[in-house]
Amino acid sequence: MASAAASNPKLQSQFLDVTYVNNKTGSEVIALKNINLTIEEGEFICIVGPSGCGKTTFLNTIIGFIKPSNGSILLDNKKIEGPGRDRSMVFQSPSLLPWRNVKDNVMYGVELQKRVTSETKKIALEYIEMVGLKGFENHFPHELSGGMQQRVNLARALTVDPSLLLLDEPFSALDAQTREFMQQELLRIWSETKKTSIFITHQIDEAVFLADRVFVFGARPGHLVDDIKIQLNRPRALKIKREPQFLKYVDHIWGLIEHESSKQGFEVE
Amino acid sequence: MKKDETITLGKFKQTKKKISNSQRNFMISTFSVIAFLILWEVCSYYKLVNPLFISSPLKIVEAAGALFVDSAYLNHIGVSTYEFAIGFLFALIIGIPIGIFAGWNQIFNAIINPFVSALYVTPKVALLPIIIIAFGIGITSKIVVVFLMAFFPIVMSAQKAMSTLDQNLIKAARSFTASEFQIFRTIALPSTVPFLLNGIRIGLGQGLIAIVVGEMYASTAGIGYHLTHAGQNLKTAEMFVGVAVIAISGVILTGMIGLIEKKFSSWKPE
Ligand SMILES: Nc1ncnc2c1ncn2[C@@H]1O[C@H](COP(=O)(O)OP(=O)(O)OP(=O)(O)O)[C@@H](O)[C@H]1O
Ligand SMILES: [Mg+2]
Repeated sequence: MASAAASNPKLQSQFLDVTYVNNKTGSEVIALKNINLTIEEGEFICIVGPSGCGKTTFLNTIIGFIKPSNGSILLDNKKIEGPGRDRSMVFQSPSLLPWRNVKDNVMYGVELQKRVTSETKKIALEYIEMVGLKGFENHFPHELSGGMQQRVNLARALTVDPSLLLLDEPFSALDAQTREFMQQELLRIWSETKKTSIFITHQIDEAVFLADRVFVFGARPGHLVDDIKIQLNRPRALKIKREPQFLKYVDHIWGLIEHESSKQGFEVE
Repeated sequence: MKKDETITLGKFKQTKKKISNSQRNFMISTFSVIAFLILWEVCSYYKLVNPLFISSPLKIVEAAGALFVDSAYLNHIGVSTYEFAIGFLFALIIGIPIGIFAGWNQIFNAIINPFVSALYVTPKVALLPIIIIAFGIGITSKIVVVFLMAFFPIVMSAQKAMSTLDQNLIKAARSFTASEFQIFRTIALPSTVPFLLNGIRIGLGQGLIAIVVGEMYASTAGIGYHLTHAGQNLKTAEMFVGVAVIAISGVILTGMIGLIEKKFSSWKPE
């Protein structure tokens, strides 16, 4: 099973280093150091780690905003050189156009890719429905709650039909209940679309609940601490979060992060 | 109106309330203007203030009635309108692209910024003597003054608008492989509109000042010219007709900007 999957890597990070150079002072921050990992087609990956350990940097490198200072990332065996139509991202910070309604915001990605057709319009409406915003198509972002806005972001990222979906703490602004609801929705959407997904979160139980594998990152410099396979049956219901096996994963990852944080003098939030 | 009916009841109520609010405010404004005119008339009638200085609303209306059938006066209005329209139009079609480009391109901005910043704060009427020498006392010199006065607020506002773009939006656009031009069209331009309209509004006021001052200083026709002469010959009522024509033009033009603004910001929270 594992060997069959390994022959079809979706994404490979090889000897990846990312360094930020301050333009004014010339000083350098090593954000990521020697990241080696492989993600298979259709996998759901979660990344956890203390704040500042380079999770966003990693996604920004995959989306193509940042050039590695060493090593490379291969997507479908091709080196990533910049943004591409095969990827889309749900950002940590809100990024909807305030003067566009929900429908036009969701269409924004395909519009930029010059793919506005009756077909993509239909897909957009389907995703709006899928994220639970049917009836809000003509509302403007300021008329939506933070959680609803984040769902618009998700629908927008899905509408371009990426083969790799990147999500940077998409649910961090949500209340606990909406968050759990969205976790289930995301899993449902993922099981329908089978898109390879990389999801950053600070919540360990969220990571375990969603992921096929959890990558634990450590800080200073950002590095991969562990890669944990989550062997919980799918489809997963919320009640799985109370099962001993689930809690064992959470405990284990918690321990890893705590260890990393204490090493760096961080507090675990 | 149709649009309001389709949205939720709560929203509809809100809209309805707003309309009655603005109706009320409009009535208060109308009343205050009427009260002012009556007070003015009374002051003049009972000579509480020398009528030579303040004329009176009735006399002004009378003078307006006479002037507006006088083809010479209509010609003055025509000349001023022409000067203003051409000067302001140039300020728009040159100022907006320059401002936007300056906000978009740092190098271009570095080139023009010293001039724009310096001239923005300079009273352009100080340049009038030299403009008159260069362009004569005809309409061209007035067009130039209107242009100069309106140009800088417009450039500055466009430039400022571009420098306050939301980087998060640009990042999102780039992630969808947006080109520079697409970012410009879908993010930069729409974000610019409110700032730009504000600059245009300031430019309008400046342009109207430019017309009057320019025509006062040296000209052979125009409202400012007529107004100055009327004032000097103690035809106060005629002078006030000129003032009213300019004031009403300003109000109408600003109102038009307001309408455009409303159209472009229909998405905005109340
Ligand atoms: N644009 C930048 N310029 C310089 N340094 C940066 C930049 N962005 C991030 N860094 C640094 O790189 C490191 C990793 O940042 P990153 O945003 O990737 O962390 P993160 O794991 O996403 O944190 P969080 O969980 O708080 O979102 C941090 O030390 C940060 O200070
Ligand atoms: Mg981050």
